[in-house]
Amino acid sequence: MADVLAWFGAVGDAAMGNAPGFAVRKASLAVALAQTAQLPQSEWHALYFAGLLHAIGAIGNPAYRKGDELSERIARMESWDAPAQGAQICEAIGSLPAETGDMVRWQHEAWDGTGYPDLLRWTGIPRPAQFLGMADRFVRADDPEETLGQIGLESGRAFNPETVRTFSMWFHLSGGEIELVEAPVDALLDAPPDAQTLLERFADRIDAHNGVPGRWRRVAAIAEATAALLSLSDDDARDLAIACRIFGAGEIGEKTVEDEHFDPLARLGVDQRARNASTAAAIALAQPALRSASAIVLARGEWFDGSGKPHGHARSAVPITAGILAAAIAYERLDRGERIDTAAGTQFAPAVVRALMEAAKLRA
Amino acid sequence: MIELPERTRRISPSRLHEILLAHDCKSLVDPFMGLPTHLNYLKRHGIAVHGGDLLEWFVRVGEGLIVNDQTYLRDAEVAEIVEMLPGRIYSLDLFKAWEGVFFSEEQCIYLGVWHDNVRSLRSDQQTGLAILGLWRAFCYWMQKTQSPDDMQDTPPSELAWSYIRQTEQWVTSNMRRNTVRQGDVLATMGARTADALFLAPPPRNSFRSADARIWMWEAWWQGNPYFTIEHAYRDSLLGARAADATSYARAVASILASADPYPVIILQTTEQRIGDIEPLVREARANVTVIAPHPYEIYLVATK
Repeated sequence: MADVLAWFGAVGDAAMGNAPGFAVRKASLAVALAQTAQLPQSEWHALYFAGLLHAIGAIGNPAYRKGDELSERIARMESWDAPAQGAQICEAIGSLPAETGDMVRWQHEAWDGTGYPDLLRWTGIPRPAQFLGMADRFVRADDPEETLGQIGLESGRAFNPETVRTFSMWFHLSGGEIELVEAPVDALLDAPPDAQTLLERFADRIDAHNGVPGRWRRVAAIAEATAALLSLSDDDARDLAIACRIFGAGEIGEKTVEDEHFDPLARLGVDQRARNASTAAAIALAQPALRSASAIVLARGEWFDGSGKPHGHARSAVPITAGILAAAIAYERLDRGERIDTAAGTQFAPAVVRALMEAAKLRA
Repeated sequence: MIELPERTRRISPSRLHEILLAHDCKSLVDPFMGLPTHLNYLKRHGIAVHGGDLLEWFVRVGEGLIVNDQTYLRDAEVAEIVEMLPGRIYSLDLFKAWEGVFFSEEQCIYLGVWHDNVRSLRSDQQTGLAILGLWRAFCYWMQKTQSPDDMQDTPPSELAWSYIRQTEQWVTSNMRRNTVRQGDVLATMGARTADALFLAPPPRNSFRSADARIWMWEAWWQGNPYFTIEHAYRDSLLGARAADATSYARAVASILASADPYPVIILQTTEQRIGDIEPLVREARANVTVIAPHPYEIYLVATK
């Protein structure tokens, strides 16, 4: 469960354009500030997960998703809703500590009432949410020393003067170095939905963000049917199933989905496919439970004949699971499914194409 | 030194919006609106909003945030608010009574200048936005009296400038008619109907312990540093006449009894007060759901 949450948090960062690892650093700093302020330990746990999931509201938000051409002003207003949307997602995850959602909701409120989304002011903003906002400011900045000064100037405006004092104390005690905190997995409750259901819901949200609703379900259906015909091991089948759910994360920060401009069987799209595959794989790689699936996602940009990317692997060096995933993604995009046959022996392994076409026939 | 009280209740407009969506409500009346930033949020999300309050400055801000669909203050117009204009005669002593008690001599002079400049604005919408921006500068000063060493010294005109310019971002249209009015609760409820009635009634005797940042700004707007909030609440339903618990409960019950035309009532309260309020709501409506995310933020959602 913790791995799925951390993965989705990282996808949120990618949707918002944040650097990899942003959420973990933000969560760790927010917890350090809460510790410095001697907040109750129960609040540290919720704060950690709120930091981890701080940007998930961006997934599906009109300011960030594909297909919405908004003016700068409208986009800014839409982006104000991302924290509340993130809070709603958190509230639907039963295993999170109860306070997590509202910490996400109010992380961008300003002490003077000029923040968003709720324009709360003064002590109406819970302290943990203020720490989260301050952590965001610090992690986003290039120069720690300069940021210390800037945060000081925001005392009484963006931040509560007392919170600024806490930050200043932390800065001087730690030298401005953020020490990464272990995820408090014991604080997660044993409540529905389970990790698999959650992963599927997140995948649905990613597809909606990318403007291809339900794509992973169609890809998974054909990929799993193909895998069954090729008698994959249980482990490979499980990893392939996860890969089908996470590959869309690679396109989350792109302006368009892959193959929107190129035929899915054309060589022209090879760079974009490999880039998306690498991005999705990198996001998943940090989570132990998703590591095997990450390797499949990364290799989906390879071609059977060795002319693919990122590594130019050929034939048996390309995992069969990656070949199935790549063929299923292409098949889902094709206007006429039988065209996939033209890519056998070049883009995809002939055996995979044969199995996929048979699976498609059986499904029809 | 003046005390700035901890806020003991919270209205989250994003949560309120979720409740409205769940009940398919597309319009709302709020007769105790206070500073109507929550109504601005709902307006931005397509809800037709109608607010009312006894304090005039809240209503004026409502003109800027709620009624206003497209007017904002340009740089040149802001410049004419935040600084003394040559050739205009100012009542520089207007807020001298606050000097040394709450503010410095310079700040009191600026309060007088801003008061006169805002009163000279010709548009109600611009006036509302200016009042909001200047109030934030005023609150900054009040906060600085609590944390003098922690907060930056910013020239008054610069502070006011930044806050007034910021108000532009909240000006928006929802293609609906939105209104505000100055008046007591029953008058506001009688003037408008909507899908939902939002009630955040002030606690009993709250006018006796009102936040200085609220009542002093009404005093500023009225140009009377000796103004007290008891004056505004004197003849109101939840004012001095409802000072004891029985009268207060009777007054709240009368509000709920008058809310019959509204399909949904959302009453915001706190853990401390829910014991007194919930029976009254259950008396008025058959179905009551309690949404209690925090001790300071509880919503009673009542339907027929």
